[in-house]
Amino acid sequence: MEQICVELNGRIDSGNAAQVEETIKAQITQPGAAVVLDAEKLDYISSAGLRVILRLKKNTRDLKIINVNSDVYEILEMTGFTELMPVEKAYRVVSIEGCEEIGRGANGTLYRIDQDNVVKVYNNADALSEIQHEREVAKLALILGVPTAISYDVVRVGDSYGSVFELLNARSFSKILATEPEKMDWCVQEYVKMLQIIHGTEVPKGKLPDMRETVIGWAQFLQDHLPETAAKKLLALVEAVPQDDHMIHGDYHTKNLELQNDEVLLIDMDTLAVGNPVFELASMYNAFIGFSECDHEIIKRFQGFDFETAQAFWRKTLAAYLGTTCEAKLTEVENKARIVGYTRLIRRSIRRKGLEDPKRRQEIEHWKAELLELLEQTDTLTFSPNELVIEAVPENLPDVQAFVDEHLEGASCPMKAQMQIGVAVEEIFINIASYAYAPEKGNTTVRVEVSQEPVSVTITFVDHGTPYDPLSKQDPDVTLDAEHREIGGLGIFMTKQLMDDVAYEYQDGKNILTLKKNL
Amino acid sequence: MLNITKAIENDNAVFSLEGRLDTITAPQLEEAIKSAVSDLSRLTLDFEKLEYISSAGLRVLLMAQKRMGQQGEMKVVHVSDTIQEIFEVTGFSDILTIE
Repeated sequence: MEQICVELNGRIDSGNAAQVEETIKAQITQPGAAVVLDAEKLDYISSAGLRVILRLKKNTRDLKIINVNSDVYEILEMTGFTELMPVEKAYRVVSIEGCEEIGRGANGTLYRIDQDNVVKVYNNADALSEIQHEREVAKLALILGVPTAISYDVVRVGDSYGSVFELLNARSFSKILATEPEKMDWCVQEYVKMLQIIHGTEVPKGKLPDMRETVIGWAQFLQDHLPETAAKKLLALVEAVPQDDHMIHGDYHTKNLELQNDEVLLIDMDTLAVGNPVFELASMYNAFIGFSECDHEIIKRFQGFDFETAQAFWRKTLAAYLGTTCEAKLTEVENKARIVGYTRLIRRSIRRKGLEDPKRRQEIEHWKAELLELLEQTDTLTFSPNELVIEAVPENLPDVQAFVDEHLEGASCPMKAQMQIGVAVEEIFINIASYAYAPEKGNTTVRVEVSQEPVSVTITFVDHGTPYDPLSKQDPDVTLDAEHREIGGLGIFMTKQLMDDVAYEYQDGKNILTLKKNL
Repeated sequence: MLNITKAIENDNAVFSLEGRLDTITAPQLEEAIKSAVSDLSRLTLDFEKLEYISSAGLRVLLMAQKRMGQQGEMKVVHVSDTIQEIFEVTGFSDILTIE
């Protein structure tokens, strides 16, 4: 379509409005053409000038004003013109030549332009809508209580756009980890604190994209790239993750956390979404480990610290986030995150023609093999701090005991009761390990709940194995002498004696056994 | 984790147990007793540093008691209150010689 560009110059007021109108009209040689008013050299416009534009608007189907300086923009905004027609501001030009790169996110790179300010330069040349989106979600996050920096200006940087933030004297957590490794534990603590703020923030419906929908898309993409059963299971696992209105950052690695004086600030908000924390942990796993799993140099290039540091940071973060040091619990949650993480990595690489490159193809095969193995042993992607999902095999007893003990110690459980609960937990777990899935293998969920008044502990075991009520067994005769005593049934008998309540039910294909002990 | 310290003098053995006697570790004690029992007429199990016992541990104690009952005597010493209660609940306090 024909587009006519008309330059506006100097001042337009009652003194020259009529003349300007004639000049413009003379330039519009084709009726119906789109008209662009270039206001780069326009210093001032009065109401007489505005009326000229209004009349022009009436006779033009498509009219916009570009390169508007901030004084004129203010007039246009105050008079409501910015809502009548597209008005584009003139962008300040900023150079990043010689500027230090201080951060890098999914869609742009952060440079320090002077002592107090940084600019985020977007990868996409046509990034205005992205910038708009990021400014909006950053504002939303700030209002909801997440400490973040808000951009105050949009600028031109070469052929790209950038947004400018005030960020005084700030350093990213990546830089701190790379240069001051002794601060690792402090970094973990602050990093987890922020993560908990994000995940504790409830977002009004519809304000942010639902991460679950995005991940369903990834799983759908993989349907053609995985064996049928595994592909279906993956999709079913993601679809079974419940809706969650809590915020997730979506790209929460240590380059996106800045220390400004004593204040910790979150940046790079364009990936903000809502959803289950497992989706966040997946992107964290990828940032620290997944991306670099086959080539440990990648993390160094991206974060500035080595793969061992990344591994330690990730594991410590997970422990602090979940409030546990129980290795089995950490592995359970990590494995769930890895399922989502690998799904994303495989899709991303295939879409970027990874299958056509031998080295990247190898990487895809590695992620795929890991994913397939994890899918076999996983029944759900969700997790809870007081639940341990673990393979029911006798070798895992110490992990189960450690998990239960940690919760009992947290509840100041007396030593004697702790041992008695331990005995009951052992009997039930070993029972499940021996009979529920034999000769196959399967998982059991162990849930520990502590309630007050009266203080009591409830431990629930859930498995999907053969229906079996261990309580139906007849109690052994404990009065017989050694020669005549049989050991069978003693474990369940002890459990009943040591606990205040033991209950069994079979529901929805699950064996549910509950132990209760008053403290 | 279970540590067994063995002191054997002729037909007299003292096994000191430290840690946990559970499904995972009970086979260790079973093995230790089985390998020594044929030459013994007295077996003492010192539970001073034993923190935990489950039915898997009791099973080994019953096996040992049955065996030693035929050829001599077995006793369990330094039993904590917590473990003593397990013995009582299960009737093991009547089967074992506890000091």
